Amino acid sequence: MIARRWISGLLRRRRTRIVGAALGVALAVAIVASLGSFFAASKARMTSAAVASVPVDWQIELGRGSNTQSAERTIAAAPGIAAELPVGFADTTGFRAATGGSVQTTGPGMVLGLPPGYASTFPGEIRFLVGAHEGALLAQQTAANLRASVGTTIRVGRQGMPAADITVRGIVDLPDADSLFQVVGAQAGSGPTAPPDNVLLLPSSTWHRMFGPVARAHPDAVREQVHAQLARSLPQDPSAAFAQVSAMARNLEARLAGAGLVGDNLAARLDAARADALYAELLFLFLGIPAVVLACLITAVVGASGADRRRREQALLRVRGAAAGRLVRLAAAEALVVAGAGVIVGLAGAWAAGLLAFGAAGFTGATGQRLLWAGLAAAVGGGLAIAAIVLPARRDARTRSVRSATVTIGRRETPLWARLHLDAVLLLAGALVYWQVVKSGYQVVLAPEGLPTLSVNYVSFLAPLLLWIGSALFAWRLARWVLSRRHALASAARPLAHGLSGAVAASMSRQYRLLSRGLTIVALTAAFAVSTSVFNATFAAQARVDAQLTNGADVTATTAASAGLRSGTLTRVRGLPGVAAAEPMLHRFAYVGNDLQDLYGVDPATIGRATPMSNAFFANGDAAATLDRLASRPDAVLVSDETVHDFQLQPGDLLRLRLQFASDHAYHVVPFHYFGIVREFPTAPRDSFLVANASYVARATGSPAVQTLLIKTDGSPPVMANEVRRVLGPASGATVQDVVTQLRITLSGLTAIDLTGLNRLELAFAFILGAAATGVVLALGFSERRRTFAIASALGARRRQLAAFVWSEALLVSVGGIVIGVLTGWGLAYVIVKILTGVFDPPPDGLSIPWSYLVTLGVVVAGAIAAAATGTIRATERPAVEIFRDL
Amino acid sequence: MDDPLVRALDVCRVYGSGPWAVEAVVGATFSIRTGDHLAMVGPSGSGKSTLLHLIAALDRPSSGTIEWPGLGPRDGLRPGPVAVAFQGQSLLPPLTVLENVELPVLLAGGSGYDARAGAERLIAMFELEDVSRRLPEEISAGQAQRASVARALTGTPRLVLADEPTGQQDREGAHRVMRSIIAETGRTGAALVVATHDPAVAAMVSQRWAVDGGRLRTAVPV
Repeated sequence: MIARRWISGLLRRRRTRIVGAALGVALAVAIVASLGSFFAASKARMTSAAVASVPVDWQIELGRGSNTQSAERTIAAAPGIAAELPVGFADTTGFRAATGGSVQTTGPGMVLGLPPGYASTFPGEIRFLVGAHEGALLAQQTAANLRASVGTTIRVGRQGMPAADITVRGIVDLPDADSLFQVVGAQAGSGPTAPPDNVLLLPSSTWHRMFGPVARAHPDAVREQVHAQLARSLPQDPSAAFAQVSAMARNLEARLAGAGLVGDNLAARLDAARADALYAELLFLFLGIPAVVLACLITAVVGASGADRRRREQALLRVRGAAAGRLVRLAAAEALVVAGAGVIVGLAGAWAAGLLAFGAAGFTGATGQRLLWAGLAAAVGGGLAIAAIVLPARRDARTRSVRSATVTIGRRETPLWARLHLDAVLLLAGALVYWQVVKSGYQVVLAPEGLPTLSVNYVSFLAPLLLWIGSALFAWRLARWVLSRRHALASAARPLAHGLSGAVAASMSRQYRLLSRGLTIVALTAAFAVSTSVFNATFAAQARVDAQLTNGADVTATTAASAGLRSGTLTRVRGLPGVAAAEPMLHRFAYVGNDLQDLYGVDPATIGRATPMSNAFFANGDAAATLDRLASRPDAVLVSDETVHDFQLQPGDLLRLRLQFASDHAYHVVPFHYFGIVREFPTAPRDSFLVANASYVARATGSPAVQTLLIKTDGSPPVMANEVRRVLGPASGATVQDVVTQLRITLSGLTAIDLTGLNRLELAFAFILGAAATGVVLALGFSERRRTFAIASALGARRRQLAAFVWSEALLVSVGGIVIGVLTGWGLAYVIVKILTGVFDPPPDGLSIPWSYLVTLGVVVAGAIAAAATGTIRATERPAVEIFRDL
Repeated sequence: MDDPLVRALDVCRVYGSGPWAVEAVVGATFSIRTGDHLAMVGPSGSGKSTLLHLIAALDRPSSGTIEWPGLGPRDGLRPGPVAVAFQGQSLLPPLTVLENVELPVLLAGGSGYDARAGAERLIAMFELEDVSRRLPEEISAGQAQRASVARALTGTPRLVLADEPTGQQDREGAHRVMRSIIAETGRTGAALVVATHDPAVAAMVSQRWAVDGGRLRTAVPV
């Protein structure tokens, strides 16, 4: 009864306080529910995307001498197998074809025997280019090497037996050749082997006819696999899915009892997805948790803004005999109302956030996950309401006297953390942890060798965490110090307050707790907004760099390595309007030992005109110096880290590469000298590759043919791409791609989607937090001091004079907070970008500043501050006695 | 004859409406002249404070007219010619007693030196030297009330309105406070209106108005 009356009174007379606290709770609930649901849904997306990207889940290599039919029966009967087909692999000594008046031969290759229905069962494995979909199908590169086409008869070399002739019925591409031709059961830690350069696909009946005898005479040359597809009933979490698939593979191997080894492509893809999931978890920790904590702090400040009045009300009740238990129950009733309203509004906000950001209220996650996170968010909201309202009431009722409970200003005291210099300690500790992470090479996702587990180096999270807390405490200390300098405050307030500057400074100085708290909250919010937006801008910039790297330039025209762009293409393209620069690049293949690598031939002096040469591309971090070194010697070559390690190279060492010569299309040795390490290069694959002088390669191989044209444009890349296509013509065989289209592809990657989505949420919440931290916190603080302003108004203070009090406080809190926050945010962004280097591809040279977002946020914050201040001033225009009566 | 400082004609103040309307002041007609010292006497809830607020231009009448021909336009009454010592806690919490007392002079545009000098003189007058550097929450209710009265007298207003200025004082203290108020307003020639329910306080003032049920039963004719 009393509680009901109390709540009714609060809703009538203290509506601002109740609404403010409920909104604070709603903000925290919305953020927790949104981020949590998004995080859970992103994991499920990762798993489903990983599963969908695997053409063949398992490649089970049957042991030599094993009973293949028995093994196939065992595999078919194994739990979880949805489809399985046998595939034969046979080594060939090479192919030979007589075309165009000459005879072409290739080196060793592979012939696969595929059963009927293989392409439809595993559609991602074969991409049909030209001709029939059945019969003898030649891989694209092999067809280029042999200059063969549909109808060409090729001779297939067989070990220990005469070659066999077969007529080509179609040309295909093998998009997943790396995993198709993997060595199943390779030693752990051994590097990947390159797929065969020459491949022929045959129907299994033809294959058995051709290589059955070879298998009997040379069993090492022939082997069989069973390709299997698993049922799609995996857990949504990538780690759990990986564990389940791995366990199923081991179970099958146990059932096969040595008759087969499982090449687990699905587990490998899920392994990458769980690493992505761990990065997503890290992103949630580094970027999501601060948002949640900040929302909770703002809620606490909003709750605390009514604490003084609440304490006075309790003091009055205690004077009239209310026991501590009753006071706590009344506070609990208030907390219940605040939490109830806040949770409802917050969950609605999260629902709207999902709808606006992703078009799906639950971020496409499962109902169970959404409900779980909604429950967690509601619990956070309830906890916040209890912490802000009930716990202080309980503490005051038990420990404070009635008299002390009426104290609102209090004398200046130095809190324990300040006396212990905890802010300096935390900042120093954060710097030390960061230094440790730097020393470890930014290893935040750990993959211990030989262990199937992945873990996160959570210690790395301590660096930004300690910096956050240390910065917050330091901001508080700085605010207290500024507010203790009354003369300086009075001088600063004089332009606004004139003769009242002393009174304004005295008022601000004595309300140091309130103002320090407000300034710190504004600083933390600004730091959050700056760090998140800078991280997002840097990621977006690196995505553009990645797209630029993948595409090579604004617009790129490429042909196959064995072909070349028509002569005169470069001149014609350079003549197109809108072309700022166009540079040719050779693309060949070179054997480094037995390893076939891509080799790019460039003019080091001019390549930078068409495409940016980032310092991050090169191990020494200096693009200009590296290219100069390449130009200084015709036979200089840049190689990958792996090549240096494998061949134990020292700068200047001779490196003998085998390149294909134009004269006979055979591979011959060409000497180079190693002069540097290259890690990234426009259009280069993620594998090892080489960069050399184009003129030397052209001279050595006898072919100046250019395979790639890198084009920089002043205008729209898609428009320029169309122009280049027109210049090249449809018969050129060249592919023209622009960076805008490539960026779209890059940003559709798993981690990119999740990071982009997470940042979109956080940037939106940063606007709300910014407005709340400044406008709402200021407004509530002013609201709690209405009596002060009413008294001043009753004494005759003019609007301008009241404005001096209000604006002086507002400017100190907002300007001081924003300055400290921007500096802190920049520092945090630097640390987070460095620690999360693994998320960026390639790593950024520096931070990107999102000026338009920050300016817009500044406008929103300024608007919120202005609204709070002018609202407060306008409220004092009511007759003072009305305000006294309300109070 | 000089214009009166305040002239009121049939002033009424009604709160609320309909059956819950409260007539706090009904048909008050009066004038206050320079040098008048008068006490409005009546029980609690009789309308003394409401009348005082109307005179101070802190509130507007529901009907009737109230003017300040001898003090200037309504907007310029405070700070300046009219000063009010409020009944309840009315010191600004973040300012010390000294800073509170000197505030009206600063609000009126006076110099910091003049404000400080005047405030210190009045603080001494009302025996607040020991607490002049304390915050309002650190002093007793009686000291806070004396500080509120001292604040009202600073800046030499021409009309001082004191609402129950001795409510928190003991008998001796009340006597001293009233003596100080009367002496200071006598010295400056300011008019004084004291709202009180204490007959002893009212007896110290030369004129008395009775207020009962919102009606002013004794007043100086217009």
